[in-house]
Amino acid sequence: MTETRIPRRRAGDRPPVITELLDEAVVQEIADQAWAALVGEEEVLVPLPGEVPADAVSSWVEVLGPWTGTVVLACGRRTAADLTRALLREHAPAELEDEDVADALGELANVVGGNVKAVLPGPSALGLPEAGTAPAPGAAADTCRVDLLWRGQPLTITVQGAALAPEHEN
Amino acid sequence: MKILIADDSRVMRQIVIRTLRQAGYDDHDIVEAEDGRDAYDKVQAEQPDLVLSDWNMPNMSGLECLQALRSSGSGVPFGFVTSEGSAEMREKAADAGALFLIAKPFTEETFRDALDGVIV
Repeated sequence: MTETRIPRRRAGDRPPVITELLDEAVVQEIADQAWAALVGEEEVLVPLPGEVPADAVSSWVEVLGPWTGTVVLACGRRTAADLTRALLREHAPAELEDEDVADALGELANVVGGNVKAVLPGPSALGLPEAGTAPAPGAAADTCRVDLLWRGQPLTITVQGAALAPEHEN
Repeated sequence: MKILIADDSRVMRQIVIRTLRQAGYDDHDIVEAEDGRDAYDKVQAEQPDLVLSDWNMPNMSGLECLQALRSSGSGVPFGFVTSEGSAEMREKAADAGALFLIAKPFTEETFRDALDGVIV
């Protein structure tokens, strides 16, 4: 856990939406750097939409600050397994455990999320990576999504505001 | 040298070990810790010459680990390897006594820049 203090927003302040803070090109550049360093120098992410399979798996990290939301990575199970093998290289076991895949996908979300956080207004805190069923998206206007192909397989990176919760006004 | 690598991700520990090797720092003893608390205990037990630690970890963060080590009188050389490389985090790391902060994603050149002179 970080010790960053998060200032309370004053009543009446409108929180920023993500599209005012970054765009798809920034997210793609962050992802490109993460892939080159972690997955492999020759590995490229092609900015083309593909249909993420119905059995998609997700990993994400939460950003909590002036902008609050999650950075979510989603891809098919086969893609997730291939990414895990690429990260582990010679240390990849013959049979991947679900835990290995969650760990690898979580670290990719963590690295992308940490760098997304760095371009957002602070101070803010980064949560621990999680994997499973991604948090529900918030408003469409507070969402920045890039659709990519890696080795011809689709994956998406979404920077999404927290789902709207009922507000309790004083 | 004995190098302790603390990260709650086993995958990331492997990547850090691999990058150390690619950067030319092979032939060192590696000890792994899976969170800040484990790192703190292993610094006491294993007496490493250098700690490379993630920042955000369950149980005890890397920063809390460093602060606990310094409070206990340990001056073990300590650097962060973290996905958070903002100026704010670098300042916090330096204030707590860290020698350097390597931001993820890193390359073997990033490792060399930070570790040249630290690992002998």
